[in-house]
Amino acid sequence: MIERACCCCTILLLLLSINRAEAHPHVWVTFHSEVVYAADGSMTGVRHDWTFDDMFSAYALQGISHAKKGQYTRQELAALAQTNVDSLKEYDYFTYARADGKKLKFADPVDYWLEYKDAALTLHFTLPLKTPVSAKAMKIEVYDPSIFVDFEFAKDTPVSLSGAPQCLATYDLPHQPTPTEQARLSELDAVPLDPSSTYGEIFANKILVKCP
Amino acid sequence: MIKSQTIALTALTAIFIACTMGIVSAWSAPFGAPHLASAASTSGLMGWIFAEQAAFYRSLSGFIRAAKEDGAAMWELFGVSFVYGVFHAVGPGHGKAVISSYLVANEETWRRGVVLSFVSAAIQSVVAIIVVAIAAALLGATAKVIGLTVHLVEITSYALVTLIGLRLFYVKGRSFLIACRELTWRRAPELAFASATGAGTLRTQTVQLPGRVFGAMAMRGGRCMIDGCAVHSFHCHDDHHESAWGHAHGPGPAELAGAGGWRRGLSAVIAVGLRPCSGAIIVLIFALAQDLFWTGVGATLIMGLGTAATVAAIAIVAVSARGLANRVARTRAGFGMLAMRAIEAGAATLIVAFGIMLLAGYMASEQLWMFTG
Repeated sequence: MIERACCCCTILLLLLSINRAEAHPHVWVTFHSEVVYAADGSMTGVRHDWTFDDMFSAYALQGISHAKKGQYTRQELAALAQTNVDSLKEYDYFTYARADGKKLKFADPVDYWLEYKDAALTLHFTLPLKTPVSAKAMKIEVYDPSIFVDFEFAKDTPVSLSGAPQCLATYDLPHQPTPTEQARLSELDAVPLDPSSTYGEIFANKILVKCP
Repeated sequence: MIKSQTIALTALTAIFIACTMGIVSAWSAPFGAPHLASAASTSGLMGWIFAEQAAFYRSLSGFIRAAKEDGAAMWELFGVSFVYGVFHAVGPGHGKAVISSYLVANEETWRRGVVLSFVSAAIQSVVAIIVVAIAAALLGATAKVIGLTVHLVEITSYALVTLIGLRLFYVKGRSFLIACRELTWRRAPELAFASATGAGTLRTQTVQLPGRVFGAMAMRGGRCMIDGCAVHSFHCHDDHHESAWGHAHGPGPAELAGAGGWRRGLSAVIAVGLRPCSGAIIVLIFALAQDLFWTGVGATLIMGLGTAATVAAIAIVAVSARGLANRVARTRAGFGMLAMRAIEAGAATLIVAFGIMLLAGYMASEQLWMFTG
């Protein structure tokens, strides 16, 4: 009897504690990224083009004054572009880079602007590395660990390279979890991750650059 | 004596562990549910729900555009909005958890659970509509200002949830301590004595009860109100199991169903419902940009209806689970009551935990300002 009562309490409380992140995608970004190399063969940064879905684009454009209905010039959107890159700093620009396994740091973005076309906003910006690096294997990941923003590679040209003809860029879609990973995922509630864990990376969009 | 203490300790530990797990699972949230780009790879029911609700949400913009050209498309839009609402609420969210915890802690009826769920969803929709109508449609505010407004409303909501949780925790925690002591004294009756003065302050709810119970209620009610449990009445539920444990801690069912009870429930759902859903805000602004604000309002209200249906279903499950625990507890007078008080106190703790975590930002909330400041 006691066991039954205890069982009931536990089930009830577990039911109530099923409460994960509130976040779920409300912003969809289709992105193209260009990995930028200097003449000496070192990587200097990443150039992003992020196209937002039409609903979020309309939301972001709310209250932005423009001369012609349905059209926004680059100048009219300059203030919004500034706000965008300022806000993204807190989220590390959703861009995580590693050179031969070593984490890289990005400086503040440069050359940023917004473009409005076909009812969608595209944010262009370049993320320079704090210090350019040369590496055989470069890995750049783009994802939002909190799932509020969903990132997806552009269909036509997801990835490109600038200034590194000797290197090869490939990309890796978020993969199907292996049985081991699936098992780990299912017990995340009971055995949580260390806050500094980078486990979420396995569900990232990966850009890989291999150089000889 | 020792056995009862062991039982109490076990119950407490179980509840503590459950609460901690709730907090921890919420804390590890960002990784708990895989990235949506891997929608196909998230296996199981939750993954499917994630994928479905995202698909419905994304199709909304197309339906709103279609509604612009063709009035009949509006009905499709409303249909999709309803389904999105249903799926949206099945996914994770603090609203359901707080409402369910509240229903469990307060021993509410399933009927009231359903009504409160609908009221909370309605408030949520209306807040989104009011924010967009005033800020966007009338004042022409930017997304930044709207995001900030939503953030402020959100913080107010979380603070209210925390306050309501604390109040409940105070009330239920005390009931738990009373039950705990009672269990101890039961085993040592020579220490217990009646507090006769208590009978004078008897409340009205006992009027409908048969005379035998009346005496018991008088002592219990008097004890709790007069001496704040410092003086202890002789325990009375050995021969009146049901009435003793069912009515020991406050208003009877009749009083609970009265105006005061509703007011209490409403304060909880207002606190929860105050926080508008970012999805609704975005849909409304999108509709506004298409010069279809009223269509957006309709879609938002119907989305709320769908959400309410799911939340009500979850509320019914929570209330039934409590009912089940209740029946089990009834078979064991002392321990049963203690366990129920512990469940109530635990549910109240959960509300406080949710409120504080949301305030502290541990639980990733919907960050509308992620891009727009």
